[in-house]
Amino acid sequence: MKISEVGESRVRGYLFVLERSLRTFLPREVVADAAREVESHIRERLDQIPPAADERGAVERVLRELGPPLKVAQAYSLEMTVDEAVATGRVTPMARAFLHVATTTLGGFLAAVIVLWGYVAAAILFSAAVAEPFLPRNVLFTFDYVVPLVKFGYPEVPSGVDQGGYWVIPYALVCGFGILVAVHRGARGWLTWWIERRRMMQLRLIDVAPEEDAVEFR
Amino acid sequence: MTLEVWHEQLRRGGLDLAILLSVARGPRYGLEIIQHLEEFTDLVITEGTVYPILGRLTAKGLLTAEWTAAEGPHPRKYYRLTDSGREQLAQMAAQWKEFIGKIARLMDAAEGGTHEDQRGR
Repeated sequence: MKISEVGESRVRGYLFVLERSLRTFLPREVVADAAREVESHIRERLDQIPPAADERGAVERVLRELGPPLKVAQAYSLEMTVDEAVATGRVTPMARAFLHVATTTLGGFLAAVIVLWGYVAAAILFSAAVAEPFLPRNVLFTFDYVVPLVKFGYPEVPSGVDQGGYWVIPYALVCGFGILVAVHRGARGWLTWWIERRRMMQLRLIDVAPEEDAVEFR
Repeated sequence: MTLEVWHEQLRRGGLDLAILLSVARGPRYGLEIIQHLEEFTDLVITEGTVYPILGRLTAKGLLTAEWTAAEGPHPRKYYRLTDSGREQLAQMAAQWKEFIGKIARLMDAAEGGTHEDQRGR
């Protein structure tokens, strides 16, 4: 079926929204390829419809079966970004995956905040270990609390009495590494649980009941 | 667990295998894969969910994808199994057969009577 200008603009609108949504999570070349594939699919589907069929109904049916563009974009992000993060555990895919989950659900946002807090804590400890030889006044190692505490401030000097001296370096490195490993493992585990749950929810969307006004495909 | 959730888990478990099987005999493009699945299974898949899965399987190196302009009126992205994809498919198919074989034996045993009946035989 050849579609008119009206049908064409509907298809273009769908692809525009899809492309914009995909760009949030995926690299540019992946977005271009995905949009091209979806466009090819729509054209193929429309070609399978007899020319005499109602154009508006046919276009809407094809797009409905494809799913809302935001959902399709989320499915791409889920499969490609989160899956890569779970499989590899590399920093960039993990960051992309948490950007995705943080913008998808409230639980995802909270998890992303906790994970970010963990990474920042590890980064502060590493920074304190590195800074101690150069900025000894800015790094404070104190036993005034239940656990030995590292304080790091720049340019302000943190308040308190430095009791640990250079022992702060191994202490901060060990603690920083421990926190980093724990947070990273926890983040990966949480993403694994989350992706399984999301896939289950997506499968609930899979069943598409045939409609009364359905257009016949050849 | 509700029956609905169980059914979804069952379908989800078979989805990757079904997609890999649909390209086992030769390269196919996305819509062709969907129509092939619809022909042989009740895994009715919306188009919007199959393409991301194809993308993931390609990123994992189980499939390769290639655009072809000459095959039809529109460019088509053909997917074909890689060597590692073929290997993984063989393993998945073998495990699937083993699994359904065991479940079938369990079902036969259950239909044949209670555990106590069988022990008394």
